[in-house]
Amino acid sequence: MSHSAEYWLEALHGLGFKRPVRIMNVCGGHERTISLAGLRGAIPGNIELVPGPGCPVCICPEEDVFEAIQLALHEDIILVTFGDMLRVPVNVPKREPRSLEQARAAGGDIRPIASPSEAVRIAKENASRRVVFFAAGFETTTAPVAAMLAEGAPDNLLVLLSGRLTWPAIAMLLDSEKAGFDALIAPGHVATVMGPEEWQFVVDKHNIPAAVAGFRPDTLLAAMYSVLRQLKDGKRFLDNCYQEVVLPGGNREAQRQLNEVMQVGDANWRGVGVIPDSGFALRDSFAAHDARRHFRAYADDSRKRVGEMPPGCDCARVVLGKIYPNQCRLYGLGCTPRKPIGPCMVSDEGACRIWWSSGYRENEWEGRKKRQSVG
Amino acid sequence: MCLAVPMQIKTIDDFQCVCEARGIEREVSLFMLQGEEIGPGDFVLVHVGYAIQKVSAEDAASSWELFDEILAADA
Ligand code: SF4
Repeated sequence: MSHSAEYWLEALHGLGFKRPVRIMNVCGGHERTISLAGLRGAIPGNIELVPGPGCPVCICPEEDVFEAIQLALHEDIILVTFGDMLRVPVNVPKREPRSLEQARAAGGDIRPIASPSEAVRIAKENASRRVVFFAAGFETTTAPVAAMLAEGAPDNLLVLLSGRLTWPAIAMLLDSEKAGFDALIAPGHVATVMGPEEWQFVVDKHNIPAAVAGFRPDTLLAAMYSVLRQLKDGKRFLDNCYQEVVLPGGNREAQRQLNEVMQVGDANWRGVGVIPDSGFALRDSFAAHDARRHFRAYADDSRKRVGEMPPGCDCARVVLGKIYPNQCRLYGLGCTPRKPIGPCMVSDEGACRIWWSSGYRENEWEGRKKRQSVG
Repeated sequence: MCLAVPMQIKTIDDFQCVCEARGIEREVSLFMLQGEEIGPGDFVLVHVGYAIQKVSAEDAASSWELFDEILAADA
């Protein structure tokens, strides 16, 4: 039995929970529904909804994008990648291609794809050439990449893998001095694949209420109600507000395939740094498909620095929920979806992009200046 | 990127199937759902060309209201 968004809104207002509370989400899809449906304006004013690390394109290491660009320019390969990656900027001297899009203009054979199956098709159609699939994504997207390899990919198809797990970023935030949130909405489609149990540590270890939510306003509002109710009653548990899709244990076959093809280890997040046990890498048994082992010369460890966002771009703090997108000085001024400066304005799942396309236009810095000059 | 959309299965050939939603047809892999009872007419949640879970017809229909909004906003 499910209730409407109106029902949950009324319930939220009726709860009478007045303390200020910050609820973090870790999924671009959640943030999109929240922004598009205008949920921030509809819920009680003491609730802040904070977009957290929910954009895999935004945190894909700068050195990986750089490596993909170099491969496309200097090797006789076809580079395929999800469309979102094409415009992600890297820091290079002027006149060098600073994105895959510019590398394509400079002659690189770079093709956007929408599915791992397309990578397989392109590899079959170009049997005499090597195809490198630059694959960034969280668990939901990395699992199909694993499935593609588990099913058996053509020999000429290599993967440059930048897969990441979502929960370790939240674990890192919670282990830090200032997590910056009092409750968590867990990502529905990550939980569909990996199982909701991954998020149990939020409740057990940190005593923070959590609820898995789907992508319609009603399930997101139900999750907000659940975590507020938990705070109010002093009870804690991991709620599942997306039971029609998220089953206990998740999709075990998908997990089996992930585990067969990939192993988990420490990994770098752009602007954030290395997070323990947060990245996927191909197992030795799939070394023949590993672009990182084939093209070792292009891995540039010296680029692995924290804070390597484009100059002036505050994506790193946006991603960690430390500031809202419109608190970046460039939001809407130097940086818009047409002329993005940072990855958070490039990707469909970046908070800056989502806020802009949902109609948030006021840059907080500008607003403050204006208000000062008027007052 | 982690958003998956519900689609209805039309035909199945081994692990590949053709799915339809809103009049658009797509090739979808069922490789991640092997072992599940699944057939033409069923609904699946599709992400980057792979079905990640079975869903009910009812949930599929109500999810689409949301995607219509998203598509309208992006247009
Ligand atoms: S508005 Fe642009 S420059 Fe500022 S944080 Fe977002 S992507 Fe970076």
